[in-house]
Amino acid sequence: MAQVEKRGGLLRKSSASKKPLKEKVVLMYDEIFMTEDPSKCSPRFWEELFLMKALGEEHPIRVVNALQTLCALIRGVHQKNKSTSGFDIINMLMGFDKAELCMKNLMESLDSLLCAEGSESLKSLCLKLLLCLVTVTDNISQNTILEYVMINSIFEAILQILSHPPSRREHGYDAVVLLALLVNYRKYESVNPYIVKLSIVDDEATLNGMGLVIAQALSEYNRQYKDKEEEHQSGFFSALTNMVGSMFIADAHEKISVQTNEAILLALYEAVHLNRNFITVLAQSHPEMGLVTTPVSPAPTTPATPLGTTPPSSDVISSVELPLDADVQTSNLLITFLKYSSIVMQDTKDEHRLHSGKLCLIILTCIAEDQYANAFLHDDNMNFRVNLHRMPMRHRKKAADKNLPCRPLVCAVLDLMVEFIVTHMMKEFPMDLYVRCIQVVHKLLCYQKKCRVRLHYTWRELWSALINLLKFLMSNETVLLAKHNIFTLALMIVNLFNMFITYGDTFLPTPSSYDELYYEIIRMHQSFDNLYSMVLRLSTNAGQWKEAASKVTHALVNIRAIINHFNPKIESYAAVNHISQLSEEQVLEVVRANYDTLTLKLQDGLDQYERYSEQHKEAAFFKELVRSISTNVRRNLAFHTLSQEVLLKEFSTIS
Amino acid sequence: MGDTIVEPAPLKPTSEPAPGPPGNNGGSLLSVITEGVGELSVIDPEVAQKACQEVLEKVKLLHGGVAISSRGTPLELVNGDGVDSEIRCLDDPPAQIREEEDEMGATVASGTAKGARRRRQNNSAKQSWLLRLFESKLFDISMAISYLYNSKEPGVQAYIGNRLFCFRNEDVDFYLPQLLNMYIHMDEDVGDAIKPYIVHRCRQSINFSLQCALLLGAYSSDMHISTQRHSRGTKLRKLILSDELKPAHRKRELPSLSPAPDTGLSPSKRTHQRSKSDATASISLSSNLKRTASNPKVENEDEELSSSTESIDNSFSSPVRLAPEREFIKSLMAIGKRLATLPTKEQKTQRLISELSLLNHKLPARVWLPTAGFDHHVVRVPHTQAVVLNSKDKAPYLIYVEVLECENFDTTSVPARIPENRIRSTRSVENLPECGITHEQRAGSFSTVPNYDNDDEAWSVDDIGELQVELPEVHTNSCDNISQFSVDSITSQESKEPVFIAAGDIRRRLSEQLAHTPTAFKRDPEDPSAVALKEPWQEKVRRIREGSPYGHLPNWRLLSVIVKCGDDLRQELLAFQVLKQLQSIWEQERVPLWIKPYKILVISADSGMIEPVVNAVSIHQVKKQSQLSLLDYFLQEHGSYTTEAFLSAQRNFVQSCAGYCLVCYLLQVKDRHNGNILLDAEGHIIHIDFGFILSSSPRNLGFETSAFKLTTEFVDVMGGLDGDMFNYYKMLMLQGLIAARKHMDKVVQIVEIMQQGSQLPCFHGSSTIRNLKERFHMSMTEEQLQLLVEQMVDGSMRSITTKLYDGFQYLTNGIM
Repeated sequence: MAQVEKRGGLLRKSSASKKPLKEKVVLMYDEIFMTEDPSKCSPRFWEELFLMKALGEEHPIRVVNALQTLCALIRGVHQKNKSTSGFDIINMLMGFDKAELCMKNLMESLDSLLCAEGSESLKSLCLKLLLCLVTVTDNISQNTILEYVMINSIFEAILQILSHPPSRREHGYDAVVLLALLVNYRKYESVNPYIVKLSIVDDEATLNGMGLVIAQALSEYNRQYKDKEEEHQSGFFSALTNMVGSMFIADAHEKISVQTNEAILLALYEAVHLNRNFITVLAQSHPEMGLVTTPVSPAPTTPATPLGTTPPSSDVISSVELPLDADVQTSNLLITFLKYSSIVMQDTKDEHRLHSGKLCLIILTCIAEDQYANAFLHDDNMNFRVNLHRMPMRHRKKAADKNLPCRPLVCAVLDLMVEFIVTHMMKEFPMDLYVRCIQVVHKLLCYQKKCRVRLHYTWRELWSALINLLKFLMSNETVLLAKHNIFTLALMIVNLFNMFITYGDTFLPTPSSYDELYYEIIRMHQSFDNLYSMVLRLSTNAGQWKEAASKVTHALVNIRAIINHFNPKIESYAAVNHISQLSEEQVLEVVRANYDTLTLKLQDGLDQYERYSEQHKEAAFFKELVRSISTNVRRNLAFHTLSQEVLLKEFSTIS
Repeated sequence: MGDTIVEPAPLKPTSEPAPGPPGNNGGSLLSVITEGVGELSVIDPEVAQKACQEVLEKVKLLHGGVAISSRGTPLELVNGDGVDSEIRCLDDPPAQIREEEDEMGATVASGTAKGARRRRQNNSAKQSWLLRLFESKLFDISMAISYLYNSKEPGVQAYIGNRLFCFRNEDVDFYLPQLLNMYIHMDEDVGDAIKPYIVHRCRQSINFSLQCALLLGAYSSDMHISTQRHSRGTKLRKLILSDELKPAHRKRELPSLSPAPDTGLSPSKRTHQRSKSDATASISLSSNLKRTASNPKVENEDEELSSSTESIDNSFSSPVRLAPEREFIKSLMAIGKRLATLPTKEQKTQRLISELSLLNHKLPARVWLPTAGFDHHVVRVPHTQAVVLNSKDKAPYLIYVEVLECENFDTTSVPARIPENRIRSTRSVENLPECGITHEQRAGSFSTVPNYDNDDEAWSVDDIGELQVELPEVHTNSCDNISQFSVDSITSQESKEPVFIAAGDIRRRLSEQLAHTPTAFKRDPEDPSAVALKEPWQEKVRRIREGSPYGHLPNWRLLSVIVKCGDDLRQELLAFQVLKQLQSIWEQERVPLWIKPYKILVISADSGMIEPVVNAVSIHQVKKQSQLSLLDYFLQEHGSYTTEAFLSAQRNFVQSCAGYCLVCYLLQVKDRHNGNILLDAEGHIIHIDFGFILSSSPRNLGFETSAFKLTTEFVDVMGGLDGDMFNYYKMLMLQGLIAARKHMDKVVQIVEIMQQGSQLPCFHGSSTIRNLKERFHMSMTEEQLQLLVEQMVDGSMRSITTKLYDGFQYLTNGIM
């Protein structure tokens, strides 16, 4: 028994700290889990147990007891038999011969409880049981019992919860997390009906509901982070709020860290990745969450809610009607997600944040590949101010939030990518994230080129960020080469420039922006020269990087042509006019005057990219991610099931 | 009238510069116009006969189903029994009309309009003369309205009431405000004469019903509240809204209709939600409309609306057919009211977009835009394209509306909803026909219209079978094959001949492409509409079509409408009618003046919709955005002085200037600032906002003394005071004025009838009509008119510098 308590923790508190108040049923349960068979001492033990509360079969308390018992039982059996195969556990719990029928009955009961107009607490408990069932193993795909959940789908019940505002407010979070986990059961091995079903949902109310739940959880995170940041900044306030804050946030001693919520991010990913209709939800306007919620709701970070209480943050917004509050700025899921990403991607040192950051970039990749998403990202009429979080750095001041221009959303995405590029040049080089980041930019450029969108963006910031990244790669060549193939990244960066150079006419906003591109390349020619000598050196000796490096040398052909063409002209201009240092305007003048004598090589496939594919390349990451999410959900679930006393109170007073 | 059947015969000779007909040939310029006295002599009896026959044919066609057997009952005009005639009209109008037609041929050549009018005073003794006029082909809708208004004879009125049935619907529709205003405010006989026709048309058309209901409400609003409640107008309005005028046979027709013949793809499983949407979804909107205590008119309106909504709830099984449309209009108005509470343009714009995106959830529905000229269903509002217009305290906004044209609004079923992102299959990046990389292909492929033919097939992937674990890969196609080796093979220089391009070409293409797109305006958060209005309409249509899930349907159309909440558009409607009348007069007289009347929908006394002028931005916006003088802007947009494009733009400018100068003079349009004058892509100017016309002018500004707005900038565009174009401008004005006064009655009549029972500021005082008539200067010779025009132009020019010019005052008041 002690072991069970420790691991499962389900009955921990009531047995340990409240000894005098122990209910009889708990006592008897304790006896069951004692090493001795309780029926040995008292032969009528079982009769006594089952006769204890003679309630009608449909009585809610009975149902509650049953659900809780099942939670404990399932978890207990798993804890005890960690090494046992899933089949043995099924056999242990139900017996093979009855398992199918048992699970069918269970799932049907859960389904009808979830769909019925019943107690919200009961519904919540049903979801807890399901979450418990789904997360008993670390690796969800080894949880064989889920086969029955596959066969007896509760997908429709989940959808129903999401489509009705009241039930969504109460249980939306659990429903979304449950769905995200179920989708990941044996994702790559078999046909998972939840994947198929999720991918074809087209009911707008349901999808919007899902979007709202996700937006809410993400903005709750954003809000908490912002609070912490402010608290961190103003010492005056911190003393007071720290006290309050530490009551609810577990690791309050950390500087500014709010535990990331990968489960909800996974749900967002699955929705974006699997369901093509969900993309429209990203742009669905809703009022800014943080402003609507009352500040007095210090919800737990991981919003597994105590039963019978309100969900993590109050969802004041119904998806149908907007409040008439003039101060509320409209926002959408995409903006909330971008803000969230900007926070999460700041610091990628710990594993959770690395996972989160990576998942954010994967989601952005999916978005950047989607035509509809691109259409609204680039929509000139949909302008927003997006307050991205920027890491405080020595050499720059925090941009004043108020002065942010109102721009198409794609500008915020590009800002986020630029921000990432300039803030992660460090020894522990997040190569994978950088590659994804550059890919996102590339995909957006491909769309702009294809659809001739001339975005008024400060491209210069992107160019200089990319050049700085190249400089970093070169100056840390030896350290980085030990761990990474830096040439893939270098090639991608150079090809982004090639994209601007050869296709700039199709998407640059003004002729002068094309001039500026040349100016930037010429100004930073030293970096490109160095890069060229490095890749030339490595491609000529027969080392490990020969091939990769030689690709970069070929890709550099146009940049080198530009440098070699204009530099002498600029020098002679300086000589003729007796100027030692040319101004930007003077350089631009030389550039404009000498375009016609410059020949460039048209490179193939600059505007082509490999589409994102989860199965082939990301399977390992997602397995690992789901494992960590499962553990997390299980842990938090255990903590909160305690307050079921509240629930019992609720029902005993009603009946 | 404007009818092709009758019109050409008498008019051709007059409008040709023929030296033959007697009349005053005052100078070569003026010979184009002749006074209309002698024109009847040219009527060819044969032509007339033919025309009558055609009318007869048409009547037969119109009432094809009805058997006409009762010939021989003579038409009794002297019989003033209005009650009787009402019933008869309804039951058997064709028979009567047929009688008239039979006699027509014989009588047509013998009467003249003026003669008939004179004889009218001799009353019953001369009735036959009047009858002859009524039966003549010259008797057009304008005359009918005039007699209806002026005649005190119930018999005449009843006759004309009947006669309305044989005019073309479009012709009568033009006078609908006049008809209804007479119905509301004039005596019972007139009302009784008009009602059968209105009822008949309401039964035919839901759009007509809506327009009637709205106009009846709006034009009753100036009555005292106690009389209004029991007025004839209010009763008719209630009758229309109660849906009793629904055609009885329609019910039987409906079930047999085949569902959704117009949509190529309408996945049946998606219709389940929509089917109930018409009534239920829209009814839920009604709660949005809150009363505004500050505006009693609105409150009153709301009261009625809410009471009618209740009745919808009660009789839910058979929803009132006007209900969805009225809810649609109401929710558009509610958005306007909510926007007005927001402080900044930016907030308004964002709110507008999100409000419309919610509205979109309820579309498609059985709703339409009354300003359109064809039957259609509204399927989507591309919400991101909507813009808030410039206004100080109110929040008018412009929306674009995607509709599907249909044959008959009533019988065609509402199109099925297609989810927003359905567009992806047809237009997705992967599917764009651009896999090659050469610049030629690049340039070409952009304008290529994607092929939508395979749309159904493209979406058959909805089948679960094809949705394997990696769903997004379902979409991959040939383009992806390329991408498989793309990234790695980019720089592999072998195998292919290298292609070289000149950097100069890229740079040049960039500047050319930007130059070719007519200068787009910069986004200005304080003036969000500038960019949207500047975009060429065709370009916008193409862009929105590409982005719409309904865009591939062949009957897809884009409409736009300005929603005005808190503004009385009745004056705008009056101005529209006058402009329309002047336009057709000038067309008829072949004076190349150009004006652009834009459609107005009066919803209530303080709300309405306006059909926006496409491809036009205000001169204020032009100057603010371009930072150029008007002339330089013309040069920038159309090319240098000698180019064809510039010259034609300049000509357009002159012709429209002349047209609007006359309009401004005749209607006394005031408050002419650059924000109220638009400039279109072809160089025309268009005056908007007729809030101050006739007897009303803006307070505190003194009054604008000049006859119309003519700034030095305008003159510069025309080529200066001494240029040929400026002379042409003055000549056009003169010709236009002569033509207008020839048909003065047609213009004055429109205004005069609307004055009945009206509290509109433009009718303030007692001399509105008299002054209007005086501005046509009926007694002047053409030489005097020419002098008048010169003086008005001069006055307007001088008022720029001195602002104290009063010679014009003298001219208008003294010379007469």
